[in-house]
Amino acid sequence: METAVFSDVRSLAPALALVAAAVVSLLLHVFLRRRGPRVAGWTALSGVALALFLLAVGPTAPGALFAGVLRLDPFAVFIQLSVLLATALALLLAFRFFGAEKHEPGEVYPLFLLAAVGMMMAVAAADLVALYVSFELFAVSSYILAGIFKKDRRSSEAGIKYFFLGTLSSGCMLLGMALVFGLSGETSYAGAARALAGADEHIALAAMVLFFAGLFFKAAFIPFHMWAPDIYEGAPTPVAVFLSTASKAAVIGILIRSMTSLFGGFSSHWLAIFQALALATMFWGNIAALLQDNIKRLMAYSSIAHAGYLAIGLAAWSEAARTAILFYLFLYIFMNAAAFAIVLLARSEPGFKENVSDLRGLVRTSPLAAASVLVVLLSLTGIPPTAGFMGKYLLLAAAVEKKLYLLAAAGALNSVISLFYYFRVGRAIFMEEADDASAARPAPWSVQTVMVVAALVLLLFGLWPSALAELAGVSTLGN
Amino acid sequence: MTLLEIPILTFVIFFPLAGAIVLLALPASRARAIKVTANVVTGLEFLAVLAILKGFNAGSGELQLLERREWIRSFGAQYLLGVDGISLLLLLLTTLLTFVAVLSSWSAVEKRLKEYYFFLLLLEVGMVGVFLALDLVLFYVFWEVMLVPMYFLIGIWGGERRLYAAIKFFLYTLFGSVMMLVGILVLHAHYQTFDLTVMLQAGSPLAGALQGWVFLAFFLGFAIKVPMFPFHTWLPDAHVEAPTAGSVILAGVLLKMGTYGFVRFSLPLFPDATRRFLPWIVALSLVAIVYGALVSLMQKDMKRLIAYSSVSHMGFVTLGLFALTPMAVEGAVLQMINHGLSTGALFLIVGVLYERRHTRAISEFGGLAAQMPAYAAVFLIMALASIGLPGLNGFVGEFMILMGTFPVNWVWTAVAATGIILGAGYMLWLYQRVMFGRLDNPANQVLADLSPREWATFLPLLVLVFWIGLAPKPFLRLIEKPVEKVVRLANPDYFRTVESPAPALPVRAVSAGDEAR
Repeated sequence: METAVFSDVRSLAPALALVAAAVVSLLLHVFLRRRGPRVAGWTALSGVALALFLLAVGPTAPGALFAGVLRLDPFAVFIQLSVLLATALALLLAFRFFGAEKHEPGEVYPLFLLAAVGMMMAVAAADLVALYVSFELFAVSSYILAGIFKKDRRSSEAGIKYFFLGTLSSGCMLLGMALVFGLSGETSYAGAARALAGADEHIALAAMVLFFAGLFFKAAFIPFHMWAPDIYEGAPTPVAVFLSTASKAAVIGILIRSMTSLFGGFSSHWLAIFQALALATMFWGNIAALLQDNIKRLMAYSSIAHAGYLAIGLAAWSEAARTAILFYLFLYIFMNAAAFAIVLLARSEPGFKENVSDLRGLVRTSPLAAASVLVVLLSLTGIPPTAGFMGKYLLLAAAVEKKLYLLAAAGALNSVISLFYYFRVGRAIFMEEADDASAARPAPWSVQTVMVVAALVLLLFGLWPSALAELAGVSTLGN
Repeated sequence: MTLLEIPILTFVIFFPLAGAIVLLALPASRARAIKVTANVVTGLEFLAVLAILKGFNAGSGELQLLERREWIRSFGAQYLLGVDGISLLLLLLTTLLTFVAVLSSWSAVEKRLKEYYFFLLLLEVGMVGVFLALDLVLFYVFWEVMLVPMYFLIGIWGGERRLYAAIKFFLYTLFGSVMMLVGILVLHAHYQTFDLTVMLQAGSPLAGALQGWVFLAFFLGFAIKVPMFPFHTWLPDAHVEAPTAGSVILAGVLLKMGTYGFVRFSLPLFPDATRRFLPWIVALSLVAIVYGALVSLMQKDMKRLIAYSSVSHMGFVTLGLFALTPMAVEGAVLQMINHGLSTGALFLIVGVLYERRHTRAISEFGGLAAQMPAYAAVFLIMALASIGLPGLNGFVGEFMILMGTFPVNWVWTAVAATGIILGAGYMLWLYQRVMFGRLDNPANQVLADLSPREWATFLPLLVLVFWIGLAPKPFLRLIEKPVEKVVRLANPDYFRTVESPAPALPVRAVSAGDEAR
């Protein structure tokens, strides 16, 4: 027995590495006065790198851990991988962002790590209690992250708003869990699912809807999105990157796992729910983005719209659709991190409003970053030869296979709508002339790294998507 | 067949890409080296396409020189290339016009040279790929790859309203292509392959209503590109604002992609839907012919006039394609080439004046024939070719289209013929206003005639205009068999009734066939 627990703990090595890095980084930040924040940042990034390494070499299919409380299956590993990559990108951007501030808040770095641990555990959770605890770990860390600039009104507002609305959504989810527990007397997914099959259908449906609503809220599906644009805009940009990529990957992961192993018996209701969600989210997100002048708000709505594309896959809900969701989720992290990184290239100093026109002349000041932005924009729009096209292609193909022709056409149409605002950014960068005083600043190295890495990943998987598609294919959860 | 150990079709797609990468490596300050590289690359590219002719069997209607390689295993998409007479002719046109367009930019483009030629070469990769790809995913990738460089060519090097024109072009064409993408997905769900050659052999088209919807999805993609009335409104803006080379390629090649799509995909894959929607499409083509010509008559800007004349001329091409007789379809394919040559040349002609005077307003000119005699001669020949004067290329194509449509429905022929008359009207009137009259504008009295480099851009086009006009046989021989194959798939009734003394109208034959089913 003891050895089994020991080997279970060893399977958690990646998450434990993050916890260790978080502790070390926090201590370094406190004790090394002047250089503290910088060292804390590098420690955190090394922790993520170590965790990525441990995840890659770790046991491939250990299955259930701790008597079935956690399931570390390929699905969980895939989402954890995505979460870690998103964290790494957010940390890189944080260097640039917080480094430019007078008082670099070094505690952001351990907070990123703790939130990531919460996400990693939450997607592996196969038990309601384990889920809730890890869910709250990442939720509470993100509330603090959003409000990390205590002196900045927008950041504080974002923190408070996120806290209130976030707890409301956690409450919804908790109520759903309570109903599940009341009906089944079980906290494990498998046990609860068995009991739900014979329970009163109305109450079981109410439980499912409440549970989903909490997740939809965190994933910023429309109409559960009200908090998202304000918080992405108000929060420091690296935090917005983290919330819109890592957090969304984790939430979609939790959603898919609960759909397969907890509420699998109610799949007949999903098509209507997710079709409505996909249509509302895509159209509303894209049309609202058309109206924005602030790049950060524009990208906030864009990230909402992309959740809508993911919902197409949830509506189709076939093996192919689940593969497509994972494929898209992985790319989405790179696309979205780069999209928010564009904000950091704008002319104005952090803390001011960054408008699309502040990007003028970037092609002259940093051509490499500009070329990478072009690839990212094409990918966000879904134009080949970028991976965004392949991802959208897989999602639409899954919809067409299920004969959801109109949903597929709506998804395709949304590409066209999004082209208009993405290429307002492209136009500012490539076509609008700017004198030296008003041209965008040369890109700092960390932002440039994120951009170039994202562009290379998107081009690589755009031309040769097979490897990623196969990895996503073997990582799906069975129905 | 290989070139430098690389299969030739792959070579002609990726050679311009290699050239583009070389351009990137050159320092931006070395303007001359950049220009020379771009010219040499596009020149060699044309020669490489000519080399395809050597291993090509013109007597066969099949797709040849197939190159098949695994590409995306998990989707079932392949890297599949092949060429038949139709695509080969279009490839020759594409690479020739690209070379001419690059040559014509030598002194016309001064800012951001490196990017300019980079985008032109990238555009060529996309265009050549579109004409060679036989796998629908690969086709779609090239189809979209083309949009981006064109967007930048218009948006960076265009005229005053370039930003508006660029995004309008991008939005319109992307809208068409994403609808086509949904159509491609439905086709894949039906055939379980993206391989066009397999789809054509499968012989089990989509079921009735669904085939109609997929046809319409493809139709949107292609009709916007052609552009057919009423999807043409992006065209005048894009043509007018684009730099000269961009206009030449837009009119000469990009518009042909729509009609190529009809011949390659729509007609053979959706025969029932083609015949069902045929009356509507023919009606749109006839409207385009007459409307385009009437609007051309009213234009004050030379480029805008030629842009609208393209709407009219492309109406002829779609009319010929959807008449579904071998003669008409052959005429339409030949007319695609003719339109590319003469309209490409006309945009170059406007470009010559624009480079000298920086205006395209017709009223700014007059009496130029005295000042620029060689220019006047070239302009006249191209204008007459565009009108369809016997002995020049335009005549052959238009005549075949009219001949081919007459037995189907003489009313179509009659309406289309009025388009030719109107065409002569706006073209000759344009010529008269610009070339004849008094040379009283002092700015025009110092204009230089064609330079040797400008001569070089026009020369190949002039040769082809006469060659196709006087001896079209070699060109027709290339497209005869492939066209026959398309017509056999799209309109099998034609060959069943062709021996009987009074050929049945295909339209009526279709409705009879539908009732029988």
